[in-house]
Amino acid sequence: MKNRLSPYYPLLPVFVAYFALFLVGRNVEGTWQLVATLLFYCALGQAFNIFLGMTGYVDFGYVAFLGVGTYGMAIAITGLANFPQLGLGIVAIGFVLAIIMATLLSTAVGAVALRLRGAYFAIATIGVNEGFRFLIEGANLWNGSSGMIFTAQLNEILGRDLASRVMTLWADILVLFIGALAAVVTLLYMKSKIGYALTALREDEDAAKVMGINVTKYKITAFITSASFAGTVGAAAWALKTPYVFPPEVFEIHYTIEAIIIVMLGGAGTLLGPLVGALIYGVSKYYLSIFLPGVQLFIFALVIIFVIVTFPEGVVGVIKRKTRNTAIGQYII
Amino acid sequence: MKFFSLKIILPAVLISIIPFISTFSAFAAGHGKIVIGHSACLSGKYAKAGEQAVGGIEACVDWVNNEYGGITLGGKKVPLKYKKYDCESKKESVTSLIGRLITVDKVDVVFAPYSSGLTLRGAPIAESHQMLYMDHGGANNKIFEQGFRYAVQTIGPATSYHKGTLDMVKKIAPDAKKVALAYEDSEFATMVMEGAKNHAEKLGFEIVFERTYPKGTTDLTPLLSAMKAAKPDFVLGGGHFEDGQLFNRQMADLNINVDCLSLIAAATLPAFSDALGHMAEGVMGPSHWEYGVTYSKEAAKEKGKQWIGPSQDEFVSLFKKATGDQKMLPDYHAAEAGAQVLAYVLAVEKTGSTDSDKVRAALGDLEFMSFYGSWDIDDSGLQVGHSMVDVQWQDGKRVIVWPESAQTGKPCYPMPTFDEKKDGKKALP
Repeated sequence: MKNRLSPYYPLLPVFVAYFALFLVGRNVEGTWQLVATLLFYCALGQAFNIFLGMTGYVDFGYVAFLGVGTYGMAIAITGLANFPQLGLGIVAIGFVLAIIMATLLSTAVGAVALRLRGAYFAIATIGVNEGFRFLIEGANLWNGSSGMIFTAQLNEILGRDLASRVMTLWADILVLFIGALAAVVTLLYMKSKIGYALTALREDEDAAKVMGINVTKYKITAFITSASFAGTVGAAAWALKTPYVFPPEVFEIHYTIEAIIIVMLGGAGTLLGPLVGALIYGVSKYYLSIFLPGVQLFIFALVIIFVIVTFPEGVVGVIKRKTRNTAIGQYII
Repeated sequence: MKFFSLKIILPAVLISIIPFISTFSAFAAGHGKIVIGHSACLSGKYAKAGEQAVGGIEACVDWVNNEYGGITLGGKKVPLKYKKYDCESKKESVTSLIGRLITVDKVDVVFAPYSSGLTLRGAPIAESHQMLYMDHGGANNKIFEQGFRYAVQTIGPATSYHKGTLDMVKKIAPDAKKVALAYEDSEFATMVMEGAKNHAEKLGFEIVFERTYPKGTTDLTPLLSAMKAAKPDFVLGGGHFEDGQLFNRQMADLNINVDCLSLIAAATLPAFSDALGHMAEGVMGPSHWEYGVTYSKEAAKEKGKQWIGPSQDEFVSLFKKATGDQKMLPDYHAAEAGAQVLAYVLAVEKTGSTDSDKVRAALGDLEFMSFYGSWDIDDSGLQVGHSMVDVQWQDGKRVIVWPESAQTGKPCYPMPTFDEKKDGKKALP
C-alpha cells in the first residue's frame, strides 16, 4: 500500500499548504483577500510551471491565455444573461469556453512558435498578448476597446447575494482548486512518459530527438495544458472575482513577468516550488506595501535579489538537493 | 540538520511575526477618529494621478482638522484620519488592501483607487462588507449601472466631458453645425465620445465624421485627410497626451483649419503648449478642474448652495504643504479627491453617524459647492452636479473659458488658422 501511494507523497505538502491558506483566510479576520491574492499567484505559478519548469522554455506571451480565459467567462455571462434559469450552469459554461479559447490560442501559437528554441521562442511569443489585444480592439471583437462590465448581469443570473459570494469567496476557492489541480497534473506528468520526455528535452533537446522522442508532441502537450490552466485562472480570478474585462488590463505583460519570478523564486520544474515562490512573492509584496507604501518596489527588488542569490536553484530547488535521500526528501520533488 | 541554518530560520521568523505587528499597528491606528481608507496608486502606471490624489486628500484632511476643527459628531468635534496603502496600480493589490482597510484597519469609508478598472475591482469587496466606497478616479458611467449600493462618484462621468464644449459652441456660434469626432480607440475615449455624440445630436449638431485610431499610433494623416474632406466646423478628439499632441501637429502639417479644436487629456497640460508652441494657440480641452476656477463662497450663495472647504488658494497652499513640493501645483486629480473628503464630512455631519448606510443615504440628498465646483449625485451614485471646465490656450496661457460661472476669460472663437498662428497671431477673444 505504502509503495503504491509513495509516488504521490509530494502532493502532501502542496495540499497541506493550500489547506492551511484556506484555514488562515477563513479564520483570521482580515486575511481572506490577502489569501485570495496568494492563491492567484500560487495557481498562476503552478500553471506556468507545467510549461516553463518542465521544458525550460520561457513564454513571454503567457498572459494572453489568462486574457482569453477571462473573455471566455465574460462571453458566457453576457451572452447567456437572458437565460437566468441556467444559474450556476452559466459559470460552468464560462469555464468550458475559457478552456476551449485558451486551448485554441495555445494550439495556434504553439504550432508556430514551438518550432523555435530558446531565445527565438521567447521572442516569438513576446508579441502574442499585444497582438491579441490589438486584434480585439482593432476588429472590435467582444465590444473592442470598450471592454465588458457585467456585474449587473451576474447579479441578474445568480441573485445579488449569491453573486456577491461568488465574487468575494467562491471565485477564490475555485482558484485554489485550479492551483491544486495544476499541481496534481504536474505530478502525473512528472511520473509518466510525458515527464521523462520533457525532462530529456529540457536537458538536451537534440539528444532527446536522437533517442527517438517526439519533442514537438510533448512540448505542445505541456504548452496546451499550461495554457488551459491559465485560461481557467483568468476566468475565475479575473472574470468571476471582478466581473469586467478591459483589453489593456487582461493582456498586460507584467503578469507574465510575475509568473516567471514566482516559478524561478520557488524553483522551476519542482512541484512545490511555484507555491513557495508565490507565497514569498505575495507576502513580501503585501507587507512591504503596508509598511513602506511608495518605496516598496525598491525594497522588493532587493528581497528578490537576496532570495535569488541565496537560492540560485529556487528555494525548493535548494531544499530538494539538501534533503535528497532523507525522510523529508520523498515529499519534496 | 545542517540545512535548517540561520538563513532559513531568520526569514521564516520575520515573516511569521509580521502579521502580529501589523495587527497591533492597525488596532492602534483608528481609535477615536473617523478614518478614511485609501488603496492609493503611489507607484505603477497611475502613479502621477495617484500622487496628486493623495496630495488632494491630505490637503483637505488637514483643512478639516485644523481649519474646520474636525467633524461634528454627537456634539463633539472628531478628527479625521487618512490611512493609505500603495496598490501599485495593480488589481490584485487593490482587493487585498481594501479587504485589509475594512477588516483590519476598520476604516469608516473607503476611497477607490484611480481608474475605472481599479475602481471596479474594489467595488465588490466594499459591497460585501456594506462599506461606503467613494470613487474619485473612475469616470466610466457603466460602473454606476451595475447596481452597486455603496459606490458614490465625485469625478464627473466620462460622458459629460464634452457637454460644456458643445454648449459653448451652441451659444457663441449658433451657425456652427458640423462636428467631427476623431479619437483614440480606448475604453475612456470611446465613452467620452459616446456622451459627446449624444449631446451633439441633442443640440442639433450634425456628426459629419467619426473615426477612431489605435492606441500608440504614430501617423494620423490618413484619418485627418479624410476628416478634412468632411469639412467640419469644429473637431472633438484625442485620447491621451501623446496622440493629442500628434493630432494637433499633423492638423497643422495638413493645414486643416477649423473654428474650434478640443482634445481630451492633452490640451489641458502645460507640456502641450511647451511641445507645440504657436500650434497650440486656441486649442481647447475639457478638465474636471483647473487652477484659476472662480468657484467661491459667494458663487455658492448666489446659487443657493451650501459651501464647504478651503478656497482655491488655500487648497493650493495645503496641497503644497502635503506633498512637500512647493513647485507642484494640484491638478484635477487632486481637486476631485479633495472634494470627495468634503462630501464625506458633510454627509457624516448631516446624518450624525459614520454608518455606511446612513452616510450613503445622506450623500444621496447632498448638494453643495466647494473649490472643485458643484457636487450632486443621482440615485445610482453617479455624479451629476459637477460641470467640467473648458480650457483654451490664449497667448501661451491656459484660460478657463467655460462654463461662464467659472471662466477666467472669454473664449476665442473661431480660433486663428494655422497660417495665422505661424505668423504670430494669438488666440485672443
